[in-house]
Formats: sequence, structure tokens, C-alpha cells
Amino acid sequence: MGDVDDAFAPPADGWVPVSPRLATARRITLLLVYVVVLAGGAILWVSPLAPAWTIAYAAIAVVAFVWVWWLIGRRVASFGYAERDNDLLVVSGLILRRLVIVPYGRMQMVDLRAGPIDRWLGIATVQLHTAAATTDAAIPGLPPDEAAGLRDRLAARGEERTAGL
Amino acid sequence: MTQPRRTNPLSPLVQAVPAVPALAIFFIGPGAGFIERRGAPFILTIVIVLVVGFAVFAALSWLAWWRRTFWIDDDGDLRVDSGVIQRSARRLQLSRLQSVDVVTPFVARLVGLVELRVEVAGVGDSRIVLKYLTRAEADALRGAILELARRESAESSDGALEAPEIPLAAVPNGRLLAGLLLRSTTAALLLASVAFIAFTLWAQGPVALVLAMVTGGLPILSVVTQFLANYGFRVTRTPDGLRIRRGLLSTQVRTVPAARVHAVELVSPLLWRRWNWVRVTLTIAGVEGDELRPDVLIPVAPRAEALALIAEVLPGVDVDSLVFDEAPRQARWRSPFAWRYLACAITPQVIAARSGRITRRLGLAPHARVQSLRITQGPWERRLGLASLHADTAPGPVDVSARHLSYASVRPLADEELVLMRRARRVP
Repeated sequence: MGDVDDAFAPPADGWVPVSPRLATARRITLLLVYVVVLAGGAILWVSPLAPAWTIAYAAIAVVAFVWVWWLIGRRVASFGYAERDNDLLVVSGLILRRLVIVPYGRMQMVDLRAGPIDRWLGIATVQLHTAAATTDAAIPGLPPDEAAGLRDRLAARGEERTAGL
Repeated sequence: MTQPRRTNPLSPLVQAVPAVPALAIFFIGPGAGFIERRGAPFILTIVIVLVVGFAVFAALSWLAWWRRTFWIDDDGDLRVDSGVIQRSARRLQLSRLQSVDVVTPFVARLVGLVELRVEVAGVGDSRIVLKYLTRAEADALRGAILELARRESAESSDGALEAPEIPLAAVPNGRLLAGLLLRSTTAALLLASVAFIAFTLWAQGPVALVLAMVTGGLPILSVVTQFLANYGFRVTRTPDGLRIRRGLLSTQVRTVPAARVHAVELVSPLLWRRWNWVRVTLTIAGVEGDELRPDVLIPVAPRAEALALIAEVLPGVDVDSLVFDEAPRQARWRSPFAWRYLACAITPQVIAARSGRITRRLGLAPHARVQSLRITQGPWERRLGLASLHADTAPGPVDVSARHLSYASVRPLADEELVLMRRARRVP
């Protein structure tokens, strides 16, 4: 791979990866979901149903947990972005791969958000908005300094490019 | 500029009329039996309650009407003050005018009144609807608003207030009806209904009849609605843009400036292709197509006529001379019916994408209007060495997505488009 015809090829400077703390954040969310799953198992255990049901439930839950845990790592590793001279590239996805290219001149707004878990772990999401609702350019899992810097650079470039209109 | 005025005194009455059928049905239907069982005193009470209720309602409506005034102020803004207890003042900046439409709802037409809709660019509170005015009043106000907007938006096209309109296209109502009946889904459902009815007759049982009522009823309803809405469809050219007139029960007039067209779609259902008919829909800036804001440029027209209309909104674009990059043979495993038609084309003016087999669609977006590009690849596409290219445009009915192209061709196409997008913006 890596040739010019590769649709998801990185630019000359390569992809900037996101922080592995994003995987931690998503795994915490997974654990929170599994509190509910565990509660479901407990109810099943005390219910009059045969124990085989509980065992099957637990087996599926464990397999799903391991698989999603592993998938989160892969998916976080698949995120990357690159600032080129005229546009921003964001790549993401494992099963459904996606590359979004947003020219600086088309950006209308750059958002910086962080939920409670994100803040605790020290990561943030930078989201770009254009006049199209389908533009899906969000870069999650950036360390706050990097995120703020990126947002400011993007905003400045956006203004520079649209000033002539 | 103008003195505060009120809408026509008949307005509250006209607005109340749509409630009448519902009330009538209630009293003729379930209400009647209920009341009869209770005897004379009860009926009297009902009548008194109704009369008093109506009087209160009428008084309130009248008061609301009385307290509602509109005028154009010295800054050239359209202002509306309204509210009986809680007053509200609204103001539209006419220098940012997008459209002034005169609409004739059915009931209002019976008493010779019209509705005036004024819209300006912007999010949120950007529209004022004045119900109802007399035709003459509405035309005068519309003229005044247009003239103000023209004067304020610097680039004055000094000339007559209402410049001459040049007719471009009209849809004969017979063709409209035929076109609506032959739309793929409609035709399929109607055919299914006929089959169900035939089956009912043959089997002598009522089972399939219920199905036939659903499969037959829905498309007939849709055809009737569409027919009424698009009856007498006419497109003319004015200095402000294309003007679209349509509607039987309520006439709608809408002006579409070419500069606000973000994407265009040419749609040809399977059964239309025999006559070479197409439909053209538009994505217009800041407008989600709905009943009030039509996104149809022409509901059904011969291809040549439609292409001429497209040339009006996308100058210099010749749809028939597009050179397409077609999806490779591999795509037949991912999209067995449509794959032959899937393709992408990039010209100096637009990016175009074809899709669909039963109903063919060709989406076009000028480079200056493309907001971003997306390359996607699902698991099947990866297996087959394919990928899709999407051009993101403002929200609307048109989708410019070239699906299942060969993996190697997608990134070069995207790079080519990016250069054109940049160039298009530099020369606004």
C-alpha cells in the first residue's frame, strides 16, 4: 500500500495519530454499559429459569466484552488527521473506512468539546462544521493543548481563506 | 416608510374555517347520538356553551387581529407587532431578502384574499407570513419590498419594478398526471393492487381486498396530492432568478435565484424512459424542501426541456457531454442492478454522479458549492477493490455520491475535485 492510487493513503507527512487515552475513555464507557449487563445476569440468576440460560448469557457477554475491548483499541488506532496546505484530512474506521477532506475555505465553525470522562483523562474532540450537514469531520482523543492549538490554527486558516469572498 | 396597517378584517374568519369540517363531522357523527339520548335541557346547555364559547373565541381572534400590525420602517425593515397580552415585535431586514411569495390557500381564495410570505437569509426567525391581504394590497407590498431590497443590496439593476418574465417551460396537466402515475413506486403499488383485486375475484374471498385498499389507496392519495400541488406548473425567467408557479387549490409562486442553487438532480424513473421524461429537483441554500418550499424545478418534462432549465441554474453545463468514469465490472457483486449505471464525472464547472437502475439519478453540484469530500469503503467494497466518493453539499434532496468506483480511481478523482473546488471559490 502507500502508492498514489491508494484511496486512504496518508499525505507526505503521514497521519497524526490520536491519543491512546481515547481507548481508555471508550473502555470506561464499555465498563459502565457492562454494569447494566451484569445486573441483567444477576436477575437471570435469581429467576426461576434453568441455570443454563445464565451460563449462556454470561458466555455471550464475556465474548462480546473481549471482542469490543479489542475493537476499541483497533478503532482508536485507525483515527488520524493531517493538516495540508489547503485542507484538513481526517481518516477513521475499521469496518467502514472513511476519509473526509475539508478545504479550509469551506469551514464555517470549529468546535472543541470534552465530556466528563474525557476531561478527567485529558482528551478533547475537535469538530469541523461546513454548510453541509453530511460533513462528518470530528477528531476525538486529542490532548487539550493539541486540540486548542488545532482549533486555533483551523479557525485562522478558515478566516484567511474566506476573507476574499 | 409606510404607516402601520392591519391584515384584512376577514382574516380571523378565514383562519377558523378549517375547523368547521371537524366540528361538523363530530356533531353529525358520534356527537349526535350522544346528545339525543340526553333530552332537551342538555341540548340547550350545549347550544349555550357553544354560542358563548364561539363568542369568546371570536372576540379573542378579533382582538389578536386588531393588535397585529405590520409596516416597513425607516431603516427599510419589515416589522410586525402582535400579541394581546404578551406583545411581540418582529423585524426582518429586507436587505437580506431571499424571497417574497404570494400564496393563495383554498379558503382564502374563495373570499379573494392571499397570503404573503417574506423570507430573509439567516437561521431561525427569518420568515414572516402575513395572512391575509387582498390581492392588490399584497402585490403592492411585494413590489415595495422587492424594490427596497434591490435598492439596499447595492447592485441595483435599475429598471422597471417588475421586469418582464420570459417563459421557459410549462407542464401540461395531462403529462403531469401520466408522469405521476408512472413513477416507479406508484406504478408498482397500483399494479400490485390490480393483482390483489384479481386474486380476490378469483378466490372469491375478501382477504386480498384489504391489501388492495392499502396498496391502491396510498399511491392514489400521493398522486392526487402531487397533482394538485404541481397543477399548471410554469417556469419563467426574471432578473431575480427562475420563477416557479404551481398549484390548483392553492397557487404558489416562488423565485429561485441561480446563485442559491447548491445541487441539481436529474431523475428518470424506469417507465418514463420510453418517453425520455425526467424530473429535476434542487438543493437550495438554507432550504429544506417541504410543502411550502418546493425543491422541484420541473416535475416531469422531456429531457431536452429539462436540460435547458438546468443550463439556467448551472450556466455552461451540458449534461449530455459529460464524460463519466464508470464503476468497474467488479461492482456488479456489490450492486447487481445499478452497477452499469454507477459513474462519476468532473467537468470544469461541476462534479456529477450517476446512481440507480430502476430510477436513474444524476446528481450535479458546482465546485463552488461542494463543502467537503468523503471517501468511504465498506467491507464488501474492500473485498472487491471498490470505494465510494461523496461530495457533501448543503442539506437538501440531492445526493452527489459516486458509489463503488474502482479503488484506484477514487483518490485521483478527489484530488482533481479539490483543485477545482479551490479555484471555484477564488473567483466568486
